[in-house]
Amino acid sequence: MRRPGLAVRLAARNLRRRPGQALLLLLTPTIATGVLGVALSLYGSADEPWNRTWRATEGFHVAFTVYHPPDEAGDRALVDTLRRRATQLTGAPGVVAVGGPRSHLYGSIRLAGGTEDLTAEVRDPGPYQVDQPLVTSGRWLGEGGGVVLESGLAATLRAGPGDTVTIQGRPFPVRGVAQTVSRGRFPLSRPAQVWVTPETARQLRALGMTEEGFELQLRLADPARAADFAAAHRSLEAVPSSSSVVPYLETWQQRRSESHSDIDILAGTLFAAGTLIAILAVATASVLIAGRMAAQIRQVGTLKAVGVTPRQVMLVLLVEHLAVAAAATAVGLGIGRLLAPPIAATSVTLLGRPEPPPLTVTRVLIVAAVAVAVVLLGTVRPALRGIRQSTLRSLAAGPRPPRHPGRLAGLAARAGMPLPGVLGLRSAWRRPGRLATNATGLALGVAMIVVALALRDSVELLQLRPPEPGHAASDAAVAVLYDQIRAVIFGTAGLLLVLATINAWIVATFAARDAARNQAVLRAVGATPRQTVIALIVSQLAACAIAVALGIPLGLGLWRLMEGGDLPEVHLSATSLVLLAAAVPVAFAVIVSVPARLLARQPVAPLLAYE
Amino acid sequence: MDLEVEAGEAVSVMGPSGCGKSTLLHLLGGLERPDAGELYLGGVRVDGLSETRWAVFRRRNVGFVFQAFHLVDELTAVENVELPALLVGGSRRAARRRAMELLDRLGVAGRAGHLPDRLSGGEQQRVAVARALVNEPLVLLADEPTGNLDSRATGEILRLFGELGQAGQALLTVTHDARVASTADRLLTMRDGAIVAQTRLGAGTSVAGLLASLADLAGER
Repeated sequence: MRRPGLAVRLAARNLRRRPGQALLLLLTPTIATGVLGVALSLYGSADEPWNRTWRATEGFHVAFTVYHPPDEAGDRALVDTLRRRATQLTGAPGVVAVGGPRSHLYGSIRLAGGTEDLTAEVRDPGPYQVDQPLVTSGRWLGEGGGVVLESGLAATLRAGPGDTVTIQGRPFPVRGVAQTVSRGRFPLSRPAQVWVTPETARQLRALGMTEEGFELQLRLADPARAADFAAAHRSLEAVPSSSSVVPYLETWQQRRSESHSDIDILAGTLFAAGTLIAILAVATASVLIAGRMAAQIRQVGTLKAVGVTPRQVMLVLLVEHLAVAAAATAVGLGIGRLLAPPIAATSVTLLGRPEPPPLTVTRVLIVAAVAVAVVLLGTVRPALRGIRQSTLRSLAAGPRPPRHPGRLAGLAARAGMPLPGVLGLRSAWRRPGRLATNATGLALGVAMIVVALALRDSVELLQLRPPEPGHAASDAAVAVLYDQIRAVIFGTAGLLLVLATINAWIVATFAARDAARNQAVLRAVGATPRQTVIALIVSQLAACAIAVALGIPLGLGLWRLMEGGDLPEVHLSATSLVLLAAAVPVAFAVIVSVPARLLARQPVAPLLAYE
Repeated sequence: MDLEVEAGEAVSVMGPSGCGKSTLLHLLGGLERPDAGELYLGGVRVDGLSETRWAVFRRRNVGFVFQAFHLVDELTAVENVELPALLVGGSRRAARRRAMELLDRLGVAGRAGHLPDRLSGGEQQRVAVARALVNEPLVLLADEPTGNLDSRATGEILRLFGELGQAGQALLTVTHDARVASTADRLLTMRDGAIVAQTRLGAGTSVAGLLASLADLAGER
């Protein structure tokens, strides 16, 4: 085809001729690319708001934190040693500004419904070279005492300047509310945080708050070298193994990643879901494209008859299916850009409005690769078959004749199986290629149903413990994240079921189409419509039986692989697997019966003229 | 169209392509529904039968030989032939015996275990004829039953068809072959969906005479 325009026109015509199939073909990879698109758009969507706050507050590049469990016997000498070491760090090469070391006191704050663990960071009124919290309402620390609330804590308490909060059982006035990147946002990040002056800290110590440790924050000449700087000073983290004191160096990038880990967990869950959906989409697309190819065989024959080479025929098919893949990529990425911000906005960790990261080539390629894989993996085999088939055979355009006489149906007949069942078995067994294609597609569908069941059970395991003292609000915040993961898991399970059903429907409709002539012949020689429906159902149940036998172990294997991640361990009961093994063929029979009945209602003569 | 075929009578239908010959067979066999009119087979009015009743009626009383054979391509030759016998509830053994008898009679017993795709056009045609005859139907509807056959096989099929009349079975054959048409008791000529002529054929009707009368008919039109 010297002019690629002809290939494009032929491909466009193919797609337009069967718009329903083209839409289904587009929908199949789009479900996968859509979920992956959302996952990829979620990853990093909270980074830019965090970066803005980080820049506005002169955020740290490297932090040296020493944590001393408040309820453990003191190792004050070690903490003091570490504080001296930290002071030495301030003179290290590359350090351009220093914040702290700032002491942390441990206590509790009263919230509606209980108390919550609290860290009070002790600061003089400032200003600071590193980590100048951004006051969003009221005033920063100064004369007259009081506390400044971290913005997430203020939002949870619904408290602001002029209100009072109860710390260690005593009311303290709220001077203001501020944002920082030094700590994650309450309640997902805990303990809750307030800032206090040294004078207020003395009052709090008198009320029983204990030393929890300190944090030293540094800004470097080159923030991109924060990891190298931390690596060069790892010796600071060395403490006797028997000590309960925990010192650690952390870069700003690490803190940013941890600060909105809920969004990353959600994105990771969606990515895993998208991968599963893509696997099933390959099976669905394979069955769909094989069916479309069967319908296009005559056109392939015509093209070859007028002198188009097999390679050129392949070009037409590639253009057609790559166009679908391109559309699926665009729609998937669009869905991602559209849905990621409102999903991310539900996070309690955000410091401002979420922004999906820019569309990098890598992200586009990931989504495009999935779409192309889904469509092309399904194209190759039927396309090659159509091209290799002789031109004359292609022009005849009927379904490929069976190759092998079967024995199973003979055995079934001798065992007294009713005639429609025997006919169905013969039909299934004598087309091993089609049986294998359909069984593979359905097996992946069954496997995904098993995964969906396991996902559903894993959701039950995400139930939280009753709130513990000191975690009243933060447990509720984690519950929000779990609710989101639950929604993703249920959505994934639902999409897997939808795809498995679409898969079964495609298998059923193409099976009915391929069987149309034989069904008509059967009716012409006296088979009733009901008998032909039964024969068609039985012919497809053979593939379904193989699919159940293969799909259940495959699904369990896939789930075992997934369990290696963050998902809780789930053991599907034998009962639920037996029920599944029984329910799948019944459901599939119901699905097949729809096109089979529609076929049986058609008059015989036009069906005989079908070929 | 008003047509009555007696039990044991053989009727040939001729006419140009597209004149409705095959449609007539389809209507008589219940494969298509008439828009209007009445249709009786063996004294039973069948034009209003449901699909299921038609199928049950057809399996016992109507045999079809299609121009395109229409064998079930997933069944071997002998399985195709025994299928109508099994559908009426006959035993597998009896159905197989009867099917093999017919295949033997038509000279394709040696191909009984082959799938249709492995048979030549003529062999498929003979299998289709055997299938149509296996239940000894009230009426046999044959659309170009010898179109793919050599002279010898054509002769054997015509002999088989000739025996139908003796058993009281009616035969309606659509054909373009004057030799086949001349073996019938009556010749219908169709044009534009209507019967335009009916010719009673005697035992002495020659092919040449038949062709001459058809030519006259064409000239009158």
